[in-house]
Amino acid sequence: MASFTLNGEPVSVEVSPQTPLLWVLRDHLGMTGTKFGCGIAQCGACTVHLDGAATRTCVLPVSAAEGAEVVTIEGLSENADHPLQQAWREHQVPQCGYCQSGQIMQAADFLSRNADPSDEEVTEAMAGNLCRCMAYRRIHRAVKRAAEITQAREADTAGVGIFDPTRAQEVTHGQV
Amino acid sequence: MARFDDQLAAVEAGDSEARGITRRGFLIGTMAGTAMMAFGLSGTAGAASDSASQSLTAGRYEPTIWYAIGPDGIVTVHITKAEMGQHVATSLARLVAEELEADWSSIEVVYVDSDPKWGYMVTGGSWSVHQSYLPLSRAGAAGRIALIEAGATLLGVDPAACHAREGRVISGDASIGYGEIVAQVGLERTFSEEELEKIDLKPVGERRVLGTQGGALDVPAKVNGEAIYGIDVTVDKMLHARPVLPPTRFGSRPVSVDDSAAKQVEGYRQTIELDDPSGVCQGWLAVIADNTSAAMRAADALKVEWQRGDSYAITEADIQAQGRALVASPSRDNGGLFVDIGDASGVLEDAGRVVDSTYTTSSVLHFQLEPVNATVVEEDGHWHIHCGNQQQSLAVNMLAKALEVDESRITLHQYYLGGGFGRRLYGDYTVPAALAAKALGRPVKMLFTRPDDTRLDCVRSPSVQRLRSALDASGRVLASEHAAAAGWPSAAMAPAFLAETVENGGKVDAFAISGADHWYDVGAQRVWAQQNHRVHEVFVPGYLRSVGPGWTTWAVEQHIDELALAAGADPAEFRLGLLKAEGRNAGQAPHSIGGAERLKAVLNRAMDKAGWADRDNLPEDVGMGVALTFGQERHMPTWVACIVRVRVDRGDGTITVERLTTVADAGTLAHPDGAMAQLEGSLLWGLSMALHEGTEYGKGKPEALNLDAYTPLRMHQVPEMDLEFVDSDAMPVGLGEPGTTVVAPAIANAVQHAVGVRLRDMPMRAESLKAAL
Repeated sequence: MASFTLNGEPVSVEVSPQTPLLWVLRDHLGMTGTKFGCGIAQCGACTVHLDGAATRTCVLPVSAAEGAEVVTIEGLSENADHPLQQAWREHQVPQCGYCQSGQIMQAADFLSRNADPSDEEVTEAMAGNLCRCMAYRRIHRAVKRAAEITQAREADTAGVGIFDPTRAQEVTHGQV
Repeated sequence: MARFDDQLAAVEAGDSEARGITRRGFLIGTMAGTAMMAFGLSGTAGAASDSASQSLTAGRYEPTIWYAIGPDGIVTVHITKAEMGQHVATSLARLVAEELEADWSSIEVVYVDSDPKWGYMVTGGSWSVHQSYLPLSRAGAAGRIALIEAGATLLGVDPAACHAREGRVISGDASIGYGEIVAQVGLERTFSEEELEKIDLKPVGERRVLGTQGGALDVPAKVNGEAIYGIDVTVDKMLHARPVLPPTRFGSRPVSVDDSAAKQVEGYRQTIELDDPSGVCQGWLAVIADNTSAAMRAADALKVEWQRGDSYAITEADIQAQGRALVASPSRDNGGLFVDIGDASGVLEDAGRVVDSTYTTSSVLHFQLEPVNATVVEEDGHWHIHCGNQQQSLAVNMLAKALEVDESRITLHQYYLGGGFGRRLYGDYTVPAALAAKALGRPVKMLFTRPDDTRLDCVRSPSVQRLRSALDASGRVLASEHAAAAGWPSAAMAPAFLAETVENGGKVDAFAISGADHWYDVGAQRVWAQQNHRVHEVFVPGYLRSVGPGWTTWAVEQHIDELALAAGADPAEFRLGLLKAEGRNAGQAPHSIGGAERLKAVLNRAMDKAGWADRDNLPEDVGMGVALTFGQERHMPTWVACIVRVRVDRGDGTITVERLTTVADAGTLAHPDGAMAQLEGSLLWGLSMALHEGTEYGKGKPEALNLDAYTPLRMHQVPEMDLEFVDSDAMPVGLGEPGTTVVAPAIANAVQHAVGVRLRDMPMRAESLKAAL
């Protein structure tokens, strides 16, 4: 029996302890947003948050998640309104989309630790996530944009109300 | 000259004839309160006895309903193409919406299953938007005409006094919504094929959808985990399977199977041998378990003794040796002529100066991130195959042979594809899943692990090409002969797609040689396509993003540079001199209007943007190179110029692309944001294949099976990029592939410029460059 918290809800699954967390999520708990790509923790498609940290789940035995807080793409936000999800839509990041849950979860952990990253820091943080469609430039822009959105939201919450000229901006990257 | 359109038309015709379907005319009728817009059957449009609605309702015909308008005004567009990252549904729905004058927010799309009424189902070749442009635009326009007529009646005005806009028919201050029209009176209208073709499409200046900014319909579901891919399918009572692939693709068989260790895996059930009458799965086993993880671990624990097929001993070097022999003396025994203009051989024989070079490419993996998989359920003798697939019609054909049932008993249900890139044009991966379900009498979901997927991959064939060109004393090109040897994807998978040679008799795979029929004026020209049969002994060569142009452009665009150097000319200026929009290079309306002039235009623009004029003032070990492509085929040219600036590290031979400039003319952009994404992604694919990918076949499989050995481009390897589309209202052409082909030759040309070394083998490895330095 494996027990942990999934997207805020306690779950228990009858499963052999060496089963990778990825397959417990996908096969046993029906959370298919997290994907299988390489099986050797090299592509990042299987990334979820384990106690807040971006973690590759294709090689992580479920026993290592015992009692942990697991958050998947399905639990990242209430209404798909996480700043990264908003930025991902604004910048029309996904092509085939298969790696994007992993990209977003990787970026969410990163931004939670670095609210105002440099270009180089974004690249370094995301270099472990393969995008076979090669949407890298949009991923990069969207991570930066999400940092802006987060800051603007925090400012709003604080009642400061700063003007954010980029917020209402239409998608412009198709124009050159 | 081979035209892919003709080949596809031939395949479609063969397909339709067998089913008694021809697509004549357009039928608009109302069924259950919803207006259906359908391409009708032969004679339907002219059959005066029935109304369109009667025909539809009676099910007398099997119409292909391309879109429907409900009483709520929702416009549902049926999508027959695979959604694999190109946002094809958005582009196709935009074609309809433009002419229909639909309100974009009322558009919904449905990805249809493999019902034969849709005709031959294939998504590839960068064809989708190009080929759908006229039919879907006309379908939209026909709907608008019918709506205006019906709307005018309801408004009590003359249709001529009405126009349509954003889902409403408008006359002065009065207007009525499409949904209301459908709800109140329905639609009833037929168009003959002739009438349909006579519909004038909107003038470019009145376009409100095509060429405008806007998001893709499939994006929202791809940022919250809701998008369903083949791998996400679950059905009741399904078992999980992992294939156990034999040591060679052909001719192996298991001698003994020991599953005693596998039995220790909780959830393991059994191992079965797959009996495949179609020959796709030769000597395969399948491990059956209660869940994915158990199937994977049990297969790892299985001990199998194999009798190997003969091809186990064939290496990539053997394949390429055969390729070199073929291009040294090309013949009609192994292929044929793809281009034959003038007496190229004669001119070359008499020429004083001949540039003679050989170029190679190694095996390339698709490595689409979602490993191949399929879930198969049999219900009352009907087989339901759930997966993402790019060529449903071929897959159904293969499955019928494997299951020994009629094609009418098989339906493929389509899902989002976790990458296509041509891999899923071949539905071989559905066969073992179906065989396992048949053997077990239960639904089966079969998932390949990454190494399994790589071993079954229909990889891009290794290639060898030899180009010989004659120059006169003034540096003018007098003749050029090009011979290319590779595995032929169409010969291996879909022989109906083979093309006629330019001589009487013989076939060539245009997909393996297109690109060699370039738009440069090189005097007499001869192009040989040679099939490397050794490839076919070892594996199934596949269609991989851009297919043949992926290697022909590598050779042609380096060779042009070599000719420029021999002539003492600047490589870009030399190209401009060879591009003349006259004779066969004049282009034809509408698809290639402008011809070589448009290629010239993108080159000129790219030279300006990249600062080509300063090329001779770059720092040491920095070089600038150019390459052009016309995309996938002469009949559907996408005009692209690419200039890269590279820096070479003399210490270790590393090539760094510092900047990549590309100008593309793809005609009208149905969905500009998606077009830019395709251009960007395809260029980076090109860069990835040029420097970071490539593997070698040996011992029955690619040497690199997973990301520990196969290393596609990552974010930190992305160069600075400056991309631009030419503002054009010409016929839309392909976009998914053209960008992939230009980057590698541009890099090779830039490396030559930087350090004087010519790299003729792809991928360009640092070790090779270091050795040459």
